[in-house]
Amino acid sequence: MNYILSLLIPMIFLFSFLFALSRKVKVYDSFTEGVKGAIPLVLSIFPYIATVAMLSKLFEVSGLESKITSFISPFFRFTGIPEEIASLVLIKPLSGSGSIAVLTQILERYGVDSYAARCACVAYGTADTIFYIGAVYFAGIKRKKLTAAFVISILSYLAAVIFSCFLCRIM
Amino acid sequence: MNLLFAIVFTVSTFLLLCTSPEQFLSALLDGAGKSASLCVSLVATYAVWMGLIQVWQDSGITKAVSKLVKPIAKKLFKTTDDEALEAISMNLSVNLLGISGAATPYGIKAAQRLDKTENAEYASAMLFVLNATSLQLLPTSIVAVRVALKSGSPTDIILPTIFATLLSTVLGVLLTKLFIKPAVTQKKTIKSGRDFILKNVKIEGVGTR
Repeated sequence: MNYILSLLIPMIFLFSFLFALSRKVKVYDSFTEGVKGAIPLVLSIFPYIATVAMLSKLFEVSGLESKITSFISPFFRFTGIPEEIASLVLIKPLSGSGSIAVLTQILERYGVDSYAARCACVAYGTADTIFYIGAVYFAGIKRKKLTAAFVISILSYLAAVIFSCFLCRIM
Repeated sequence: MNLLFAIVFTVSTFLLLCTSPEQFLSALLDGAGKSASLCVSLVATYAVWMGLIQVWQDSGITKAVSKLVKPIAKKLFKTTDDEALEAISMNLSVNLLGISGAATPYGIKAAQRLDKTENAEYASAMLFVLNATSLQLLPTSIVAVRVALKSGSPTDIILPTIFATLLSTVLGVLLTKLFIKPAVTQKKTIKSGRDFILKNVKIEGVGTR
């Protein structure tokens, strides 16, 4: 299965290039033209990524994160989310690299095939790094409804996390 | 975002001030440093995918794919801007495949384009929610982590993940439709000379409380 998955990306490239060649596209010129946009794009989102990263580090180091985690883990227990994954549920919307680190920790500590670990894996897949999406996609865009969209995303994410843990129990 | 930033920043700073003030600057520098290295790896990711994206563009794949997805995107986003719809269509299809590196450039393009259209509030919110609740067919990175940690059945989380991500997306879309109403556009036909001119009349405030 994993082997088949690893075929996906090379196949996409191969077929895209073959198709482009059949359409007589100058693939080298076209590809380099696209690459040209990478640095300006990253430069334009850097201020937002940097600020969110500083904030999430401060959030973690100050102990505010663990305070909130311990504060809400009883609520998590109430909704069927195992306490072991509370920190993952909190960090996932904030930081992509952070949540992968926390996920790996959970998998190692409780065993890859344990209930908590499986919940963690499924919960991880339910949403993207919501803060990052906000910072990167909407860098510099000021729209009132984006706050509402943010709240909706967080709520849908939490609902899906609860649902994930339920699914892991029955599947 | 401004409010959230201000609250989290001040509360965290206050807590640090009470416990270990010497860690304040190093935490900020560490965060900034991480973002700098993240940006370097993003340059690499975007270089790869934006190269491919341009090849798609020039060979007509973008047009073909967006033709397929456009009708759905049009219904969902309530916008008629072609350029925005094309970027949205590609953003959604690439996201489905789980290639977030390629989805981001399209997403940014769509967000910037949508900001200039009539129905920007609703369409931007929809773009945010759809990307935040990321509908993904194959959780490739998670399966890879599970394989690396020698799981007995690395793929048994695929089905629950698909159900769960489906729930978050459907719920997000429904809530957006419910709470962030699109500006109603009505098409009125106005006769002028020999031509029928389609004019979009925007009625503000309809459907809002």
